[in-house]
Amino acid sequence: MMASRTFIRRSVGVALVIVALVAQAFAGFFAQELIAEAAILAIFALSLDLLATCGLISFGHAGLLGVGCYVFAGLTVLMGGSANVAFPIAIVAGAVVAFMVGLFAVRTTGAFFIMVTLAAAEMLFSWGYRSPMFGGANGMGGVPRLNLTAIGIDLNDPATFALTVIVLCIVIWLLLELVVSSPFGRTLAAIRQNPSRVAALGGRVFFYRLAAFTASGAIAALAGALKVQHINFISPDLVSWFVSGDVLIAVVIGGVGTLVGGPLGAALLILLKELLSSTFGHWYLFLGIVFACVALLMPKGIVGNLLDFYERRITRVAASRREPTGDAA
Amino acid sequence: MIALETRSLYKSFGSLAATRDVSLAFEAGARYAIIGPNGAGKTTYFNLLAGNLRPDSGTVLFAGRDVTGLDVTSRAKIGIARSFQRNNLFSDFTVRDNLMLACALRAGTTRVFWRPMRQTTSAHAEADEVAAQVGLTDVLGTTVRQLSYGSQRQLEVALALACKPQVLLLDEPTSGMSPEETARMHDLINAIPRSLTVIVIEHDMDIVLDIADRIIVLDYGRVLEQGTPTEIRASKVVRQRYLGEPAAGVSGGPRP
Repeated sequence: MMASRTFIRRSVGVALVIVALVAQAFAGFFAQELIAEAAILAIFALSLDLLATCGLISFGHAGLLGVGCYVFAGLTVLMGGSANVAFPIAIVAGAVVAFMVGLFAVRTTGAFFIMVTLAAAEMLFSWGYRSPMFGGANGMGGVPRLNLTAIGIDLNDPATFALTVIVLCIVIWLLLELVVSSPFGRTLAAIRQNPSRVAALGGRVFFYRLAAFTASGAIAALAGALKVQHINFISPDLVSWFVSGDVLIAVVIGGVGTLVGGPLGAALLILLKELLSSTFGHWYLFLGIVFACVALLMPKGIVGNLLDFYERRITRVAASRREPTGDAA
Repeated sequence: MIALETRSLYKSFGSLAATRDVSLAFEAGARYAIIGPNGAGKTTYFNLLAGNLRPDSGTVLFAGRDVTGLDVTSRAKIGIARSFQRNNLFSDFTVRDNLMLACALRAGTTRVFWRPMRQTTSAHAEADEVAAQVGLTDVLGTTVRQLSYGSQRQLEVALALACKPQVLLLDEPTSGMSPEETARMHDLINAIPRSLTVIVIEHDMDIVLDIADRIIVLDYGRVLEQGTPTEIRASKVVRQRYLGEPAAGVSGGPRP
């Protein structure tokens, strides 16, 4: 049934891509900002879900996002470097920091992993909060965007920026689709189900988890570098545990371990926030209610439960074909 | 040639001595059965052999090399594979995916992240081969969760076989099986090539007496007796403690 699950999952992804591209084509100025915000959160959600593939749920992913934010802003604003050079450096920095944190963090799982990642992220937050270089709690403006005028792309145009972020998100999604279907990705999925058996079959669980965490850190930092470009501003709020919570909510609503669930959840989260925050001051209260409903009605998330629904149907059809006379056991 | 050997192995859990001074040598290519009442320390001994547990003292030698300090992953890599008493599978995967993963882990191709697993043709062919060996060809596409218990037990053994080990440790491969499934597992074990050393923990005495070249009887963590099936059947002390009480022999019998 694996092939059909993958097929449905990817179909959801293609549908989401079409919706995003159509929405972007027709969106006005303000909606472009929302689309860019959602696409950046979608990339961030993909990075969290890659980690969830091997059974690790991070509650400090904003820390890795923050590495991208601070490295990119530091290199461009403080050191006057080119944004085009700062961007890849920020991504590599995310990978390096994730590798170093991972050396300690991925030895733990479950609640302990959540606490270790949260602690690491809070360390960066409290540093950013006090850092006079980056304007401390007030933050710092003037973060430039990538300069792609050489190939005729002006990223200071909101519509162009939104489209570019969507394209980047699609590229990362396709790359991760390849990774999760590869022997490496299948090993991650096996580790999620049964780490001790992977170990007994000769798989070094620590190595695979560390590799997943490192890759996840690179993608999170990429999202962070895009985030500060989008708002032209950096502040420690980008690293707060609220941000870790938001991305976790997006992935849980969409479906953990489905890849396309994270971006779907991200789009819904941004949409909901926009609809609710303009009407209600306490929009998080309503988000909480929505989140509770999803958790109760669709414990595997929207995409996760959709997959289960189709799998049950396919199994039933297959069973009735095998035994055409009556109910299959 | 000695494939696997333990020298005065000890392991305690708190005040419970689960393995006490076990020194055994396993000839390459031979079949061994470890029997003994429940709580005799059979699975603990297996965990020490496979590297799931470290002994308190004593050494484990694999082909003459001291492997006491190696963990279960390293021992799997050098050729000691085990199956588990309770099914320990990848239940979201199909049978083929389970076997392909085991083959890819053994072949060291699981670091490949730039190509779909489906295109790993070597793992695909090997998985089919192992499935044929254990009789799972018909259910290769079935998700483990939807597999019958007996087939899951077969897959449990198949995963260990897919490691292409030199020493194969099977922990109660027939536990919970129907008589037909037991007979099939019996044939499967008999069909394992003689290039492998096989050590089986087993309660079914018919199987033990048939497949084993030598039988080891554990009791209270100690080696009570060892010998050929004929010797074990004739042994007075074994009769008293184990075989002599057929009903109690299976369930373990009351402890004093």
